[in-house]
Amino acid sequence: MSTVYTRRLSKELAEIQTETKPPIGIRLLKADDFETWIFEIEVLGDSLYRGERFGLKFRFDNSYPFSAPAVQFVVDSGMKAPVHPHVYTNGHICASILGDDWSPTLSVMAVCITIQSMLASCKRKELPEGNDTYVRTAPDNPKKTHFVYDDDTSPFPSNRV
Amino acid sequence: MSSREPMWYCHECQAEMRPLMVPDPHCASCNGTFVERIEDEVNDPRDFQASGPAYEDPAGVDPGFNGFLMNLSQLLGPGGPNPARRGSSAGSPPAPFGGSTMGGSGFRLEINRSSPGGGNRHFVIGDPPPLRNRGATSLPEGDNANPQIAGPLMAQYLISLLSQRRPANVRDNPFAAFDFMGGGPEEGRWGDYVFNQEALDQIITQLMENSNSTRPVPATEEVIEKLDRQVLEEGSPTLERDCAVCKEQFSLHTEDPDEQVVVTLPCKHPFHEGCIMPWLKSSGTCPVCRHQLVPQPEHHTPGAGPAGDSTSPPTGTTPPSASISPNNNRFTSIFDLMNAASSSSGLTRSGNQSSSQTRTQPSQPSSSSQHPNHPDSHDDDIPGGWVD
Repeated sequence: MSTVYTRRLSKELAEIQTETKPPIGIRLLKADDFETWIFEIEVLGDSLYRGERFGLKFRFDNSYPFSAPAVQFVVDSGMKAPVHPHVYTNGHICASILGDDWSPTLSVMAVCITIQSMLASCKRKELPEGNDTYVRTAPDNPKKTHFVYDDDTSPFPSNRV
Repeated sequence: MSSREPMWYCHECQAEMRPLMVPDPHCASCNGTFVERIEDEVNDPRDFQASGPAYEDPAGVDPGFNGFLMNLSQLLGPGGPNPARRGSSAGSPPAPFGGSTMGGSGFRLEINRSSPGGGNRHFVIGDPPPLRNRGATSLPEGDNANPQIAGPLMAQYLISLLSQRRPANVRDNPFAAFDFMGGGPEEGRWGDYVFNQEALDQIITQLMENSNSTRPVPATEEVIEKLDRQVLEEGSPTLERDCAVCKEQFSLHTEDPDEQVVVTLPCKHPFHEGCIMPWLKSSGTCPVCRHQLVPQPEHHTPGAGPAGDSTSPPTGTTPPSASISPNNNRFTSIFDLMNAASSSSGLTRSGNQSSSQTRTQPSQPSSSSQHPNHPDSHDDDIPGGWVD
């Protein structure tokens, strides 16, 4: 059943590369193996991130798709993480589908689209509270952080009620 | 799976079962990984249990911690535990504890503990057991020459030493030598180890507040057993559908006959048995519609309001945690605890058996929480676990 891992990723890769191209704004940069894939994410249209491009890195192990891949924005000399209330400057992302809400029916492309839409719907470009503390102490793998998720439909609950 | 296949034996819960291959064999009963195929009569793993597990492999013990104990014994005791090893260093009095001088570090920590199954467990750090532990035969006379502290007494001795606050005068502090290993035992904690009640309470509080409340609950064995299983047949309407996990269409033409066993969840969503079982072991929900086979924790419920957050302020020495938004969007940075948290929650959640629940005891062998400096070495039972 480890074969599910490689079969799933082969199938997903084939779809991304040939059959059904990724949605606009999402481009595969690297998928040389079944361990690390990198996508370029761009938010098109009217958004706070107009003109910016980000790298989204996926890391898999053989527990995929039974557990989520480790997903983070690429932060290196050439790329930075988007300034977003759910994205830390080390690239780690607080999104429930990457943790407790993961389901094996989700896919790499589903994650890309979710992250893209998370950026597209952002109303205020600001860092997460406590970013510096987190970045200083964060583990290399974001899956080792236990995020407590906010209600996605309401990123600023103080405005509600 | 055919009945011709041999049964497997779980060393953790003593169950005989057929393991779940996900992909490494996991005990179908407690989800543990210490399982062995029952192959030949000469080497039957059940005999091992019957004769009593006298000795846990010290190779599993982190060398750093082993070295720590070794140094500890040298620093705390009036002399080295193993005069032979210390060579000509003058005037080494007899070893203070941990009697064996059979080579290696000469240091040995033994903890005896009643196991959930009723038998006694024997947990050993250090050198191989001296002969006296290997049975009634061949007791070396010299072994009784030195007074020894072993077993529970030894553990108590260590714990009482370690639970003391760090003295201001570092030169008198026997643990100063270990600062290079990432900090001495402060506040009753040393890495993932705790040595007093206060530190343990702190960790429990952190875990209660932060780690387990929203994690998925796996399906119980009982629920899983009762699921509808069917072998695909010619003309079955399921053949036109896809398994949502592997994303492949059900087919009669598979090399592996196991792939023709279809499990249909109560919400009518079909899956290959091999595709759905690993998932249900980590989350008792339908991957497609999130139908709950077992009740799941409610989390990020809309409208919970900020009140929920104010009930869990960081405790005194909790590592920094931060709010992402004014509401309950926080992360916790207890990373060195994350694996302890994850493993214990993983184990407890898999636990429809008391034996697996008690495995979170710190002195139980063969649990991943045993190795604080390699907490990631096998996270197999953690949903979302990652092996670096």
